[in-house]
Amino acid sequence: MSHANTILVRVSAIEPLTPLIKRFALSPAAGGFLPAFSGGSHIIVVMRGATRVHRNPYSLLSPPNLLDSYQIGVRRMEVSRGGSMFMHDHVRIGSELEITHPVNLFNLDKLARKHILIAGGIGITPFMAQMEDLRAGSVPYELHYSVRGPEHSAFRDRLLERHGARIRIYHDSANDFIDVEGLLGNQPLGTHVYVCGPAGMIEKVVGTARIAGWSGSHIHWEQFSAPPVGDAFDVFLAKSGVSVRVPPDQSLLEAIEAAGVDAPYLCRGGVCGECRTKVLEVDGVLVHNDHFLSSEEKESGRAIMPCVSRAQCTKLVLDL
Amino acid sequence: MLITGIKSKPVYAPLAADVGGRYHVLVGHGVGAEQLLRLVDELRASGGSSRASRRMLYATDLSAAPNAMATVREADVAHVRVFENIPALLEDFRTLLETSRMGTRLYVAGPEAFMGLVMRIANEFNLNRDEIRAEECGSRARRVHCIHCRAATESVTTNIVECSGCRRWLVVRDHYSRRLAAYMGVMVDAEMPGERPAVKDVFV
Amino acid sequence: MSVVFKANETFRDDFTFRNSPKAIRRFPLPFVDDEYMYSVNIEPHTPGPKGSVTEFAIDVDEHYIAECKDREIVLLEDPLRYQALPHMMSAQWDVLELIMESMSRDYPELFSLTKTGNRWAWTNRPLGIHTEFTFGDAATLPREPLDYITRQVQGDWVVMDQREGDLFAEAGMVTTPADWSLDFDIGMTFKEWHGPVPLAHELSVFTRALKFLLNLRLNEPVRRLNWTMTIHPRLDTSPEFYYRWGKDRASVTPESVADDAHLRVELQGLWRLPRSNGIVFSIRCYLISMRELASVPKWARRVHRVLKNLDPALVDYKGLTRYRDTVVDWLAPFDDGAPTSPGAGPD
Repeated sequence: MSHANTILVRVSAIEPLTPLIKRFALSPAAGGFLPAFSGGSHIIVVMRGATRVHRNPYSLLSPPNLLDSYQIGVRRMEVSRGGSMFMHDHVRIGSELEITHPVNLFNLDKLARKHILIAGGIGITPFMAQMEDLRAGSVPYELHYSVRGPEHSAFRDRLLERHGARIRIYHDSANDFIDVEGLLGNQPLGTHVYVCGPAGMIEKVVGTARIAGWSGSHIHWEQFSAPPVGDAFDVFLAKSGVSVRVPPDQSLLEAIEAAGVDAPYLCRGGVCGECRTKVLEVDGVLVHNDHFLSSEEKESGRAIMPCVSRAQCTKLVLDL
Repeated sequence: MLITGIKSKPVYAPLAADVGGRYHVLVGHGVGAEQLLRLVDELRASGGSSRASRRMLYATDLSAAPNAMATVREADVAHVRVFENIPALLEDFRTLLETSRMGTRLYVAGPEAFMGLVMRIANEFNLNRDEIRAEECGSRARRVHCIHCRAATESVTTNIVECSGCRRWLVVRDHYSRRLAAYMGVMVDAEMPGERPAVKDVFV
Repeated sequence: MSVVFKANETFRDDFTFRNSPKAIRRFPLPFVDDEYMYSVNIEPHTPGPKGSVTEFAIDVDEHYIAECKDREIVLLEDPLRYQALPHMMSAQWDVLELIMESMSRDYPELFSLTKTGNRWAWTNRPLGIHTEFTFGDAATLPREPLDYITRQVQGDWVVMDQREGDLFAEAGMVTTPADWSLDFDIGMTFKEWHGPVPLAHELSVFTRALKFLLNLRLNEPVRRLNWTMTIHPRLDTSPEFYYRWGKDRASVTPESVADDAHLRVELQGLWRLPRSNGIVFSIRCYLISMRELASVPKWARRVHRVLKNLDPALVDYKGLTRYRDTVVDWLAPFDDGAPTSPGAGPD
């Protein structure tokens, strides 16, 4: 289930966009073109460091019709397990990386009669590609883009040039915030809202849409949880007969992979459900960090998503 | 060929207030009036819905329940319109949706053949399945789409029916298309000409 | 691989369709065992053995030209066998790209594709077609992209849009269906579309298949086999024309069964589409008469056992009720009771 067919790419450009965000262009090492994709897609970038392998999801921000390279935006995380720091500090023009084929878990609804896109900070990246798809169509759309201050508004010029009055940029530093209630309180039938940004922003938009009476099928959000750090713990993989130690700064999935066991995954961000694994035994608590399992499933202690979740226990047995 | 027990056949449930909605559009036909009025009471009791948030469209079934019209007119809603035929209601419904806002819930009550037409219009406005509730009541007669000539035969109550278009005898399957708002009718004696079951009333 | 086309064989009227000995040997028998029940029998669509129907992503065989001709006949009479809802245009281009790239890569002597930016040139030598067009601009093709390309490939093609945690069948070319109608089913969810299939819902087959397909990845297509039976080598067993072919089912006699009764196997492929994030579902039909099938002793034994013990609900669903016993009786003398070897291929 892991990806035998990753693509080898070479970093062909690196550009600082804001004090915290760098844009990387990834070109196929073999020349030619990369696979086509739809706006909202992400790839997993495999970074082989000296001591460990990082696999992080990044949204594709380049226009879907330009396939000589993919572009991703990487924000340096203050608390990081190393993936974004690796990209910022160790990757140079000419560095080789492996990537997976694009996966889209944040798709535009093709029957929408209007699209409202709400971005916070680095959450702008999936919308960059989506808006190229929207620009080519006839359905109305608008982007509300919130950043800390003018120096943080990556892509500002490009957005205004491509989309003009459909863009509104808000600066926290000027106390200019998105009026989510006003925005979602009076929209025509068939409108869809999409939000990508910090957890607080997603909660605010989803909650406001719910209060305004929006049904779930019109509300879309994407947030990749980075696997949080935690205490080390041990896991026994029943089918493989292998015991694995999960260190504090490694995810359960990464530890399983490092032990040579092939586990399923897709998004590595707690969203898609692909890595969902049956818990056969646990003597402590599961620390669920995913956005996929229902609260009943989380409470039952019978399933876990190893890409982002951990355990505080002395014994954990998984059906792997 | 599976005739009954096909999963595309819609499953309906008694109308219940969806307090997650901000606006409530109630549409009914014939005996569906009773369900709509019961729902208005429930919405009022829920406290989450003001009179201003509720609108109702109703088409009478002139062959039955003549008294519903007057009761419907007095319903505790901001806006009520009563029609003497379904096409007039559907036209008004479309106009209403053009000015409706996100947060709207649609409730439909009446015979399935009527509800199918209402929901087809709702679909044009991207009202999804999580924004629509429907309760079947009244006639179980079906709208049947002939798979051979594509004619629709209305008000079918029998297991087999003569197609209004090509005159073939069709067996009415449980396979339902929301886009066509109709069940599939397939020639009943294609394998053995003349080999037809007795005509029986089954959709009543 | 060189393909010798049987360009003039027919799938209607005089039914001159036959399989060459080579086509019989590569026939994709769907029975890996002596009994049959539904399962989520999905496997990666990776290249199979040389010469097999899965050697390439899209199989082009000796019936290619004749099948394309039969499709034209169906469309002339019933144009609604091709339909695409308006929001499916990007998916149409995805499918055109998939088919052109696969066929030109795998059969370079038959098909060629050259790209200069968005300017594409497509040559189909067996059908004598050469088209230059702008990828993404439907006005530069003689028909809609899906309509244009699926007239040049065997098998039916259905395109699904993914939204609301479901897959909606919203475009397709369906001229060789096993008794289902695109015109009726277009717009349906995955489970509605499969509504008429008995038993499988109770086995949660569609719940599991849907869950699997929602996470189907680019470049990792999957396939499965399905089957039914047909009287005569008729490709268009559509409900639309059931009034024409239905009576065939009652026409089977002990004398005619060997040449009239055909096993009809569908090689179904599923690909994630890149630009639309939709999924395309190809349903490629292979036909083999009982006489052709019985030329492989293992298959005669196995198919005899499968049909003899088939669940009554499946006998009804597949339309075998009137002639199943006649087929079983004809196959019986070939079944000496010997065990069959593992796998579906010939010994």
